[in-house]
Amino acid sequence: MLKKSVVALVLVAMLLTPVLAAPLKAANDAPSRMLLGQDDLPTNPLACPGEEEAMEEPAATEEAEEVVEYNGGQPVDAPDLAGQDIRVLDLPKLIGIAYFAATTKGLNEAAEELGNMEIITDAPTEASVDDQITFIENYVTQGIDVIAFASNDPVAISPALRNALEQGVHVIGFDADSEPDAREWFVNQATFNGMAKAMVDSMVEEVGADGSVAIITSSLTAPNQNRWISEMLAYADKCYPDLNWLETVPSEEDQQLAFQRAQELVNKYGEDLDGIFAMSSVAGPGAADALTQMGVCDQTITVGISTPNQMRPFIENGCAPKVVLWNPIDLGYATAYVIRAVIDGELLPGATEVEAGRLGTLPVINGSEILLGPPTVFTQENINDFDF
Amino acid sequence: MTATTSKPLPQSEATPLGQQLRGLLAFLGSQEFILALGIVLLSLAVYADNPRFGAERNLLSILSNSAYIAVAALGMTVVIITGNIDISVAALLGVLGTIAGQLAVHDYPIWLAWLAPIVFGILIELFIGFLVAYLRIPAIVATLGMMSVLKGGLIFVTGGAWIYDLPKGFFLAQRQPLGIPMPIYFMFALTLLMAIWMRYSATGRAIYAVGGNREAARLSGISEKRILMTVFGINGLMVGISTILFATQFTTIQSTVPPGVELTIITAAVIGGVSILGGSGTVIGAMLGAILIRTIQSGMIFVNVSAYWLQAVQGLLILLTVLVDIFRRRRQMSAIGK
Amino acid sequence: MTTQEAPQERSNLQLSIRNAFLGQEGVLVVIMVIAVIVLSFTSENFLTVDNLLNQARLMTEVGLIALPMTYIIITGGIDLSVGSIFGFSAVMLGWLWKEQSFPLEAAILASIVIGTLSGLLNALFIVYVRVPPIIMTLATLALYRGMAYGISQARSARGYPDWFFQFGQRDFLGIPTQIWFLIVASIFAWILLARTPFGRGIYAIGNNEIGARFSGIPVNRYLLFIYVFAGFMSAVAAFLFTSRVSTTRADSGTGMELDVIAAVVLGGTSIVGGSGTIHGTLLGLVLLQLLKNGLSLSGVKGDATIVVIGVVLILSILINNYIQKRFRQ
Repeated sequence: MLKKSVVALVLVAMLLTPVLAAPLKAANDAPSRMLLGQDDLPTNPLACPGEEEAMEEPAATEEAEEVVEYNGGQPVDAPDLAGQDIRVLDLPKLIGIAYFAATTKGLNEAAEELGNMEIITDAPTEASVDDQITFIENYVTQGIDVIAFASNDPVAISPALRNALEQGVHVIGFDADSEPDAREWFVNQATFNGMAKAMVDSMVEEVGADGSVAIITSSLTAPNQNRWISEMLAYADKCYPDLNWLETVPSEEDQQLAFQRAQELVNKYGEDLDGIFAMSSVAGPGAADALTQMGVCDQTITVGISTPNQMRPFIENGCAPKVVLWNPIDLGYATAYVIRAVIDGELLPGATEVEAGRLGTLPVINGSEILLGPPTVFTQENINDFDF
Repeated sequence: MTATTSKPLPQSEATPLGQQLRGLLAFLGSQEFILALGIVLLSLAVYADNPRFGAERNLLSILSNSAYIAVAALGMTVVIITGNIDISVAALLGVLGTIAGQLAVHDYPIWLAWLAPIVFGILIELFIGFLVAYLRIPAIVATLGMMSVLKGGLIFVTGGAWIYDLPKGFFLAQRQPLGIPMPIYFMFALTLLMAIWMRYSATGRAIYAVGGNREAARLSGISEKRILMTVFGINGLMVGISTILFATQFTTIQSTVPPGVELTIITAAVIGGVSILGGSGTVIGAMLGAILIRTIQSGMIFVNVSAYWLQAVQGLLILLTVLVDIFRRRRQMSAIGK
Repeated sequence: MTTQEAPQERSNLQLSIRNAFLGQEGVLVVIMVIAVIVLSFTSENFLTVDNLLNQARLMTEVGLIALPMTYIIITGGIDLSVGSIFGFSAVMLGWLWKEQSFPLEAAILASIVIGTLSGLLNALFIVYVRVPPIIMTLATLALYRGMAYGISQARSARGYPDWFFQFGQRDFLGIPTQIWFLIVASIFAWILLARTPFGRGIYAIGNNEIGARFSGIPVNRYLLFIYVFAGFMSAVAAFLFTSRVSTTRADSGTGMELDVIAAVVLGGTSIVGGSGTIHGTLLGLVLLQLLKNGLSLSGVKGDATIVVIGVVLILSILINNYIQKRFRQ
């Protein structure tokens, strides 16, 4: 009995050594706290404001020179459905959040305009890539013409998508990509460095180039969020070296947790905290609500990625003076047009642009991505022009 | 202390002083005291490292954020005392929040929007109670099934749309009478009421009796079925109130099930010293359990625990609390055995 | 056992056939036959070899963990930490290989050892410190998930060599490779439960633990084994899962414990202990997967499918209760 208890204790100690060591490590190594939530991919910060005009020309030509070859995949023996009715699976990361309700709305708008497209929206209730894989397998078996996905994990979803391509199903990504060869095209809402620039510029306009900021991200494993944070740090490093990054905390997809995290950050740093980046459409309202209810918006504000309807009260009361987002309805809308163009044989590998209804012509970038455009910054001036 | 009231204390010809001493020792050995001590020591440790933790505003935030967990944990404790469990609470919380929000946004009177989650909470939990008490479906299975039904049903009906533009009067949890957030009043008042009721009412004692020894309870004329219905009804009431505290905190209501909340609620009840086998546990412990969880969560941010390790440290501290409870219980048992 | 008289055996046989029809397994078979008939009418793609094999591939991970979970629930215990052990082992596999430069084979082995040790930690506390299983595993549910996040720093490991995908994405002898794992493990688990003193001991513990102790059954050793077994199987499932999805994430397997428990409970294992079978669990597992798949193929959305599964779970137990009451007395 005693011996076994000792064995148990030793085992516990072994398992827990890293846990016990961790807090110390973090405390002694303060700068590394800021690196939280990043990924290991290379960053590509855009030009700083002010340098823009000077940089514009060379940057444009530079991009034009390094044209990336088409690197998407192609379906095997896909039936020719040009001009015919098609059934499209709309598979967002999860259902039950405003953001993806908006992309679905956009898809349906475009489908109505086009008249020969049926949208079926189906997705897990939690952002789980494993569930998404099950949905893909089921719909491929059931027989679907196109899968439009927003992946919860770029790598994990890819085998299932490749299998769909092999079965002759068209695969188009939006919002969150897979590996390039697992889908034909990806409708990119905004480049990561473009988002990062808009976020950091917006923040600096509010708190100054030497302000102190913290980040509330969604889950620490969320690929888009990690990419944005990496690009934001790189961009700030280049343009605002005096910006003081305090800390990154996760809030999952949980409004209550984001609320609590924002309170903790304010209580921890007090007036030293000038701004909070809220990195998801759920973290945004949570953080802004906390700042509003604490009544600290004169010293701490939040700049978030979120939808206008969720953020309207906080944009109006000044707690979230700037909200950065593309228009998710347009994203869904563009995705539907891209799907139609692929089916009708108008968007072939090597194309440089695509027609997207009321959005006009959208450019192709990075080989097989269609770019929606620069992100929109919602402020008190323009917030009432948007309803989604 | 209540944990052991169902067991007769050893007979002894103790003097009043001896009895007082024994009472004091029982109090010092109770899970509530240990938890309270844990909360205080943890807070002091964090405070020593980062004095900002001790700011009044921060302490109030912690308590306020504990409230909806604590209130739901009160109901959960009562359910667990009877040897049952409810894993559908988070799903129920989501459903009830949506009902309240929809009523408020469609211009029904505010009091109705507040009352509705309580009424529906009680009804749904009574249905679960019926499944458990009369149809003899184990609670874990019945609530696992209900969780699926509620979760899927919520998305099915709402499509997951968020609720905006709630009327100003709706936000009960945002009010701060005397500078103290409303949820804190609810938490303490309900805990106190429940503690008194569990201890002194006949039904309260019958609940312990059913959890402690079903057969003996039946023989002494307690209707187990009625007690189970009561217990789930109370749980529904508590989840309803918890929903109000949760849903009126935010300017928008997310029509989905908050992730992992059922585990937090069950954990609060469990570290509060409720025995999962039934028969013992107190509601005060459950409230302290909820506060301890939030204190751990918040404290770790203040002492700069790496965000990647937050969950592990939290898990470790919960494990430690549970073990303390187990050892305490064992010592008490052996003391009684003597 | 083996030297009983023939008539006795026959009546035993009759009894067991009768029991099989009246037990939860019988109820499940009936529900399943109905479901298959209805679903095969509503979707022509449902009853095809390709679809069924593919579904079997998807249910393997839950199935593997459901086997030890059946043992655990028969003893009246429960293990809520399996989803976290699953995530923890998956992360360790990727981390050891990518960050610590282990050979992949060694990383796979090490991750399975780590999963097994995680199970052992649960087991030691449950058996020797007598922490109730639900409490112990509730705490380690948080702890192991936290370890997964902490050690991996939430980074995913990807880019495995081609041979690694043999286990999760390819076929072996015409059937998806991982199904062989499930078949072998199921046979092993079935024999162990139905045909050995260990199996009888497990039932005895579930019916009356103290009685089992007095009758000389090595209760501690058996209990220790089943929780360790759960850790081991979670780790094996994690390895197959990693091979299937080709990456490791710190959040993989979140909520998986409920799927596992649902399959076991649907399969007729009583949550209060004392009864249950491996074939019942497999039936429960298959029924859940068929329902999810068949409903989806018939055009029912995911949210409605969840509702149906909840209702089936409650109804099947209800029907079983009714039959037990009506025919057994």
